[in-house]
Amino acid sequence: MQRMGCGCSTKILILSSIFLLTLLVIGLISGPLGSALLNIEAPSILQLPKPHVELPPEGIFHIAGFTITNTLIASWLTIIVLVTLFYACTRKMKLIPGRLQGLAEMVVEMLLNFVEGAAGKKQARTLFPVVATIFLYVLINAYLALLPFYGTIGIAENDGTFVPLFRAANTDINLPLSIALMSFIFVEYWGLRSLGFLRYLNTFFNFGQLRDGITSLAKGKIRPAISGLMLGFINLFVGTLEVFSHLIRIVSFTFRLFGNMTAGEILLLVVCFLVPLIATIPFYGLELLIGFIQALIFAGLTLVFGIIALAPHAEEEQTT
Amino acid sequence: MEGIGINLPLLLAFVINFVILFTLLGIFLYKPVLKMLDERQAKIKDSMEQAEQIKEQAAHSEEQIKAHLETARKEGQAIIAQATQIGERLKEEAKEGARQEAESLMAKARTEIQRDRDKTIEELRQEFVDIAILAAEKVINETLDREKHRKLIGEVLEENTTFKQS
Repeated sequence: MQRMGCGCSTKILILSSIFLLTLLVIGLISGPLGSALLNIEAPSILQLPKPHVELPPEGIFHIAGFTITNTLIASWLTIIVLVTLFYACTRKMKLIPGRLQGLAEMVVEMLLNFVEGAAGKKQARTLFPVVATIFLYVLINAYLALLPFYGTIGIAENDGTFVPLFRAANTDINLPLSIALMSFIFVEYWGLRSLGFLRYLNTFFNFGQLRDGITSLAKGKIRPAISGLMLGFINLFVGTLEVFSHLIRIVSFTFRLFGNMTAGEILLLVVCFLVPLIATIPFYGLELLIGFIQALIFAGLTLVFGIIALAPHAEEEQTT
Repeated sequence: MEGIGINLPLLLAFVINFVILFTLLGIFLYKPVLKMLDERQAKIKDSMEQAEQIKEQAAHSEEQIKAHLETARKEGQAIIAQATQIGERLKEEAKEGARQEAESLMAKARTEIQRDRDKTIEELRQEFVDIAILAAEKVINETLDREKHRKLIGEVLEENTTFKQS
């Protein structure tokens, strides 16, 4: 049985690799790349429209002055997929899990381990929902975009342009920006909640020395007043920088994800155009990897910023 | 900013999307699964503790049983020793009793014998005296005072017996 199956699969392997190789050669020769190099006309079935890259998302229809874009539809699809899947998984929770429940538990446990590994058991429960949501959202956005119906089914406009119904949601800058904003809001919220407004403000601006300087000035001591004022203004400047670094996080989050995903999309488009068959497969694999890495980076950085925001609080708890 | 397509309403829509996803995943994924994981952890911990407890109990009861067995063995030995002692004593007592009885029996027998002999001797002596008197009467043919005779013969016999005994 074992040997028979083995011999059979070897045969299948050889046949299929020959088949794939043939397809690759056909794609190479008759695709735009081959036809340009060898000066032959490609068969019409393999002639593709030139890839055209549109950075802003395209509108599909309008409701009361609001444009529903293809990326928005794609993000809805992501939400529907995620929620339906996990609803089905956790509908009947049992102590001894079935397969679907096992899937949900595996996902949650993996992410929880990731969060607990960085933040410790106590703070993990605070940080976990946001980090997990960001990870799943970005990951499924990226992976769904690799499905065939993305960018292919669409509406042909009157002026000859083609608008796909689904477009990778991560390639719309509004989506990374929205996640970055949420991440920023949550990080600041955690910081505020764990320290209180004044003390959280104090982590940015240290007014102590400025106050000392002003009091010494009022008492007429010139030297401590000058040094206090100097240090106070330096602290103010450092605080401003700190505030900017928090704000810059939004921008870096946004453009990291947007850039990576858009570049991946364009890469796939170009490869598909140049060599229509087979050669795109490794690039799809690459995109799987990049989607995972980007999701991990987005979630991981949010986690780290969250830990930093909660850190003074945790230290305090440890000392008391 | 227009070139890359930042658009405030769309941004708001995505923020709302994120919030919706966050809420729904919270309800359908994180809450039930985390609860279940915690529950399972607690349950496993409980079971482990219980198992530990049961093991301890088993060890404890085993020890107790061992102790019981030990005491029972000791008791049994004590009982056996006591019984042996009692048996020994009883045997001793029986022996003693038998010996005493035998002795008393023997003493009784001896006194009986002594008495019988004494009686027989007495009778014999009477007889003998009577015969002797009769013979003497015949020999002497003279009737003496019977009492005198008897006395005389008794004296002779007394001398004889003293002589014999000495």
